[in-house]
Amino acid sequence: MGEVATAFDFKQHSSIVKATGRHAANLRELRDVIAAVSDDSIFHHTYQYFLKGHILEYTNDFAQWAGENLEERALAERLSNIDPYEFRNITDLRDELLRTIDEYLEKFPEPRAAMPGDEFYFNETISLTFHVGIRAQNLAEFLLAIKYVDMGSIYYHFYEARMRLGGGVDDFSAWVDNVLGKRDLAERIRSIDLFMHSAEGIREHIILEVEAEVKKDMEIISG
Amino acid sequence: MISQYSGISPKGDLLLLQKLGEELQDRSFLHINSTRAGGGVAEILQRMVPILGELGVKARWETLEGDERFFDITKKMHNALQGNMEVITKDMWEYHFDVNRKNAERLDLDADAVLIHDPQPAPLIEFREDGRWVWRCHIDLSNPYKEVCDHIMRYCQEYDAAIFSVAKFARAMAVDEFIIPPSIDPISDKNRDLAQEEIEETLARLQIPTDRPIILQVSRFDRFKDPVGVIEAYKLVKKYNDCILVLAGSPATDDPEGAVVLDEVKEHVASDPDIYPLLLPPFSDRDINALQRIATVVLQKSLKEGFGLTVSEAMWKGKPVIGGATGGIPLQITHGVTGFLVHSVEGAAFRIRQILNGPEMAQKMGELAREFVRNNFLITRQIRDYLSVWYALENKGMSILEL
Repeated sequence: MGEVATAFDFKQHSSIVKATGRHAANLRELRDVIAAVSDDSIFHHTYQYFLKGHILEYTNDFAQWAGENLEERALAERLSNIDPYEFRNITDLRDELLRTIDEYLEKFPEPRAAMPGDEFYFNETISLTFHVGIRAQNLAEFLLAIKYVDMGSIYYHFYEARMRLGGGVDDFSAWVDNVLGKRDLAERIRSIDLFMHSAEGIREHIILEVEAEVKKDMEIISG
Repeated sequence: MISQYSGISPKGDLLLLQKLGEELQDRSFLHINSTRAGGGVAEILQRMVPILGELGVKARWETLEGDERFFDITKKMHNALQGNMEVITKDMWEYHFDVNRKNAERLDLDADAVLIHDPQPAPLIEFREDGRWVWRCHIDLSNPYKEVCDHIMRYCQEYDAAIFSVAKFARAMAVDEFIIPPSIDPISDKNRDLAQEEIEETLARLQIPTDRPIILQVSRFDRFKDPVGVIEAYKLVKKYNDCILVLAGSPATDDPEGAVVLDEVKEHVASDPDIYPLLLPPFSDRDINALQRIATVVLQKSLKEGFGLTVSEAMWKGKPVIGGATGGIPLQITHGVTGFLVHSVEGAAFRIRQILNGPEMAQKMGELAREFVRNNFLITRQIRDYLSVWYALENKGMSILEL
């Protein structure tokens, strides 16, 4: 495994949360605020859901609130099924969220309200990104590095990258594919279901895939 | 000092602190609160100011000078912001402002960033010289007494930004509002690792037996902490599992109800030798640390809570915590993952039994709890957030900042 021309430069994401000052106590209010709130807030409650340390029952904050606090589980399931990465922009994602809620409200026009204190608070974030100071020249170094970096780095390269690169591509698989020329491994990394794992779970899956590839490469060399 | 956190705090937090320190090198950062000793704010500032200095930021910490009348008034304000109906007369508001004016003459308010903690020094904004001014509210503002809150908010509107601990404490205001939860210090006496002998010494002195699992709640004897509910839950558990209950709290000298609640607790305890209500003197940090480390289950069965940092303290010691689903507790406990959220005495009893009977589950939960605190509730994260807010204000209008 020789050194490659372009090393993988690990970066990391960190953020500070800003309140929008808007909140919802029931589904209709949630709908109305989703329609009016900033793109940054929609982004935070959907894409950045995976910044949380744990995967909860659903896959975005709106679904989680509908399921847990309003106990509207059918709606929570539908909202959970929305894949934010399928949309070209926040406007389209926002429209899909609204369409799903409106459809539900037509069938169940009087959903319950949240208990006082359990209202949905709309936030947004300011992101800070920075170089971690770790560079991988080859797959073995990459394997060591990915075991070492913080979760914020996994989030930046695996989740956030999809917004930057588009087409369901993350930084890790892009590097493995474009720089190392290992298309099979890239596809195995790309096929990890990002909705079914926390960032920590994603790390474990990538380690398994990369470790297997490094072992395979070593065997070829010794053979 | 910052090196003491290496291997404890997340690497990325320490790195970002360093990078923010470089960006804000030699700039001045002034903190003002109302007391140098006592209370969570002073505790954090004592640690934070030297760390900021090490990062290359010229940090200063000043406190307000006021007389008894001033602090009586600000205590009323504090209570009103937490929901009590308090009357603050025009005279009192004027006195509040006047004391701040005198302090403004005395203090050097010239700094690149100024963080004003809580309502006591809020009027200092009227005397700002230069720099970014941020108001940091540590109080639970979820249900404030409106008249008093509105008055304080008039000062807040003049700041460049405000910081609240929980999103639901934020108000609809024209200024930027950031959410920064409080934090614990992993190397303080309350949270540092303890040697086995230190733990044993505490238990021997407090005469706590260790032959059975210990259920623990650390809190003031305050009805909102529901100590009586904790005893009832313990009694339900006791039918199935032998265990002892420790209720550890300090005397609440500023709370006349404290003695009444303690009497209620003692009444419930009366005939059960396995319940240990402990009235610990103030600054019993190491003893509390030892109790949290030896406990099998830690409870924070509050009915109303500000943030409830005792939850993070116990989680940091690898304990699964059973907490009332109120205030900041749900932000710390992920139900079924890092502990349990409960809504009733019966719920608390059921979850205690689950933990007592599932040591493997409890251990796994405890490990996840500790990691969750590592990533979210350590002091280094709070300092990182303060510097990030300052840096964001210097780059206003940008939602992605590259360092």
